Amino acid sequence: MAGTGHTPSRHGAGRGGLSLDRLVTALLFTAAGVSVLCVAAIFGFLAYFCLPLLSGDQLGAVLSWHWRPTSGQFGILPMVVGSLLLSSSAMLLAYPLGLGLCCFVHGLGPARPSVDLGRPLMAVIRLMTSVPTVVYGLVSVFLLVPLIRSGFSGSGFSWLAALLVLAVLVLPTIVLVLDSQLRLVGPPLRLTAAALGLTRAQELLHLTLPLSARGLKAAAVLGFGRAVGDTLIPLMLAGNAAQVPHSPLDALRALTAHIALVVATDSQSAAYTSLFACGVVLFLITLAVNLGLRRIRSESTRPEGNWPKSSWPGGGQAGRRACAGAAMSRPGLRLAERALPPLAWAAALSVPAAFFGLMAYLLWRGLPSLSLALFFGATPPLAALLHGAPVFEGLWPACQGTLYLVLVSCCLAVPLGIASGICLAVYATGRAKALLNFCVDLLAGIPSILMGLFGFALILLLRKTLWPGANTCLLLSALCLALLVLPYLISSTRSCLEGLPPELRLTGASLGLSRWQIVSRILLPAASQGILGGVILAVGRAAEDTAVILLTGVVANAGAPGLLTDKFEALPFHIYYLAAEYQSPQELGQAFGAALVLLCLTAALFAASRRLQAGLERRWKSGSTTRNGSLRA
Amino acid sequence: MSTVRNGLILSVLTLSLLLCAGLAQASDPGVFAGKSGKIDIAGGTAHIPVMKEAAKRIMQTSPAIRITVAGGGSGVGVQKVGEGLVDIGNTGRALSPAEIAKYGLKSYAFAIDGVAAVVHPKNPVANLTHAQVQDVFAGKITNWKALGGHDAAIHLYTRDEASGTREVFWEIMLKKGRIAESANVVASNGAMKTALAGDADGIGYVSIGHIDASIKAPTLDGVAPDQDNAKNGTYPVTRKLYMNTKGEPKGLVADFIAYIQSPEGAQITSASGYIPTR
Repeated sequence: MAGTGHTPSRHGAGRGGLSLDRLVTALLFTAAGVSVLCVAAIFGFLAYFCLPLLSGDQLGAVLSWHWRPTSGQFGILPMVVGSLLLSSSAMLLAYPLGLGLCCFVHGLGPARPSVDLGRPLMAVIRLMTSVPTVVYGLVSVFLLVPLIRSGFSGSGFSWLAALLVLAVLVLPTIVLVLDSQLRLVGPPLRLTAAALGLTRAQELLHLTLPLSARGLKAAAVLGFGRAVGDTLIPLMLAGNAAQVPHSPLDALRALTAHIALVVATDSQSAAYTSLFACGVVLFLITLAVNLGLRRIRSESTRPEGNWPKSSWPGGGQAGRRACAGAAMSRPGLRLAERALPPLAWAAALSVPAAFFGLMAYLLWRGLPSLSLALFFGATPPLAALLHGAPVFEGLWPACQGTLYLVLVSCCLAVPLGIASGICLAVYATGRAKALLNFCVDLLAGIPSILMGLFGFALILLLRKTLWPGANTCLLLSALCLALLVLPYLISSTRSCLEGLPPELRLTGASLGLSRWQIVSRILLPAASQGILGGVILAVGRAAEDTAVILLTGVVANAGAPGLLTDKFEALPFHIYYLAAEYQSPQELGQAFGAALVLLCLTAALFAASRRLQAGLERRWKSGSTTRNGSLRA
Repeated sequence: MSTVRNGLILSVLTLSLLLCAGLAQASDPGVFAGKSGKIDIAGGTAHIPVMKEAAKRIMQTSPAIRITVAGGGSGVGVQKVGEGLVDIGNTGRALSPAEIAKYGLKSYAFAIDGVAAVVHPKNPVANLTHAQVQDVFAGKITNWKALGGHDAAIHLYTRDEASGTREVFWEIMLKKGRIAESANVVASNGAMKTALAGDADGIGYVSIGHIDASIKAPTLDGVAPDQDNAKNGTYPVTRKLYMNTKGEPKGLVADFIAYIQSPEGAQITSASGYIPTR
């Protein structure tokens, strides 16, 4: 695929074009190499700072069951177990719900076609992906935790609270992966299934789901990766007791939350070193998740994944499967047939209910505090806006901080991300492409708290070696955030370019254009909408992340952001800080107001990005007139 | 509609202008006039209200000065100032000789504070003995009934290991006894207060300066944990609040420390619920 424009372009380009082409190729590969470097650097750092553990008897102290730093015990095992317990339990809840929801959308919903609930349901799920984790955390601290405390026993800050919210957080990931797979597999089977007289539940159970095994597995793995990597929800809700919980009502501490809590201890102590052991464990989990995904993707070459090509659209194999399935009148399957529709309905009702419940609570608490005073405190708004008058007790400095942060990190990440995306979609082939793709996926899976830890350790190292004046600051946060959003940019650019019709590339080549000319004059303009959509999505991601900036320079009080080397305020951190520290009802109201503002911001960015990318899809699926038009331009 | 809103904005504007002018006159940290630069502060969370208010007053009169305030706990204060990441690292405990030697730190005390066990305001338990507090935090007493309260499980809250408040509480109140591992861990004095204000069966500990109507501090062996008792020594679990610098403070940082220790700083300190040292 990537090589189609290759050979003709060499013949077609003149000498000048060729050297420019070479230069561009070199630049693009350099850009793509940055992600490989980043992955290597992060792992290198974690491993390097872990090294002291291998010498002496410290390894035993770290691989133990007790975290008591005051008496020299730095066991991280309770946190490892905590992370695994929390994320697997969240998956146990979210996965059946996600599966049910997809079944609802793909056939188990209302029977009459006039009542199509699938579309609005998927819109809600997509909206859920845009909610910042800190907003979920804030709402749950004040809604869910008191409910658990009064409904059960314990303080409410518990495994249960964290797992419920984490399930809501990972559910969209599961649903979107599953949905895209079912969309591919489902429609061609419908006629076959109808001809065999299968019910929709039987069709799903015997045909569609077995043939979507790849998507089913990928959804589980991706969801698990997302659950393990989250910091804010366990930090705010799980109670953070460094113990192995005995019941869901006990507190637990996840690895990510542990890093956030302990990072600020004496950097020469074993407690600090043990954090990097936590980091390595998290990194290895991410690696395992990615290797799992690769395996799942490579399974597509086996017969099961092959069937659409060999039997499209007759469905001979599908028919065989269905008959075999129907013949297998095992009681388990019969039960599943009967259980699937209720599960689908339960999921379709409960998930939006839970989501809208949380959002309604946020609106109820946040709306009353929305006013100019929320942003500017006692300072006159015009003076603050025009003359930069200092604002105290208002959100304005935090909004400004977030704005600067997003701007700087996008300046760093966008050119790199787009260049790497082009490289992966058009230039890279063979092993290089496989390696680059793997690194991008791995980078996308690395928990954001590790980016923060990386940044923090980097500064400490720089201070001791090359640059004694280095300090945690806006630039460092922006740099780490850029690392965080880079893989999103790369994969959206890549998929936009790869999604373009292959004729475009062939047309360019037949006109005698060089490879770079094809990219810059035909492919990029054609995909620009979608790429822009990816950029906006990255902006939203950078605006909402809290874990990265937590370790790299954000502070509770700084006023308007100054230089790049200054510390700063930011909206998501402000929410996190106020949720824990509010001193008055006004401050709590401010937290909810800030959460509402942040949510509106990310939702708007998300909607804009979605519109642009949907526009791109429509453009290249509808007739050839627009295609020719864009070629001419 | 719009006229109403305009009027509202106008009145807010004038009001806030008046307020600013009033504040600026009331507090004139003259030392800072005409100076510029920045001070980064981090560490002890008990210090935050004092630092925030001082920063606000200074930045209002001298806009060219930037003061950033972060929390994290005393451990963070020591680490960050020791590594040179901030200019002032606050601690809610005296530095250990090892810390002073390792980083070359200088300490400046500005307030006396106590650490008190606190519960929800509706909790009927009005007095605790030293031994009871130790047993509760060690996980030996697990029901409020054993302390004269109603029949409900005790929810323990403690601070992370970077906390000076935790260290003082652990050393003086718990006599370095065990803190049950099942205790919820919160990251600051403010967060402890928030958690206990919402949990009717909770017990934790905060800096005396943070005690207000939202939480209740039972008497300890009959002694009320308040400023007066902390000052005259009847309440035993006390500590000083320190600002620490790496080496001798210079320039703005020295000015800031002098300001906190000045009469106006002392007024901010006592308004925040602490007893100024001077």
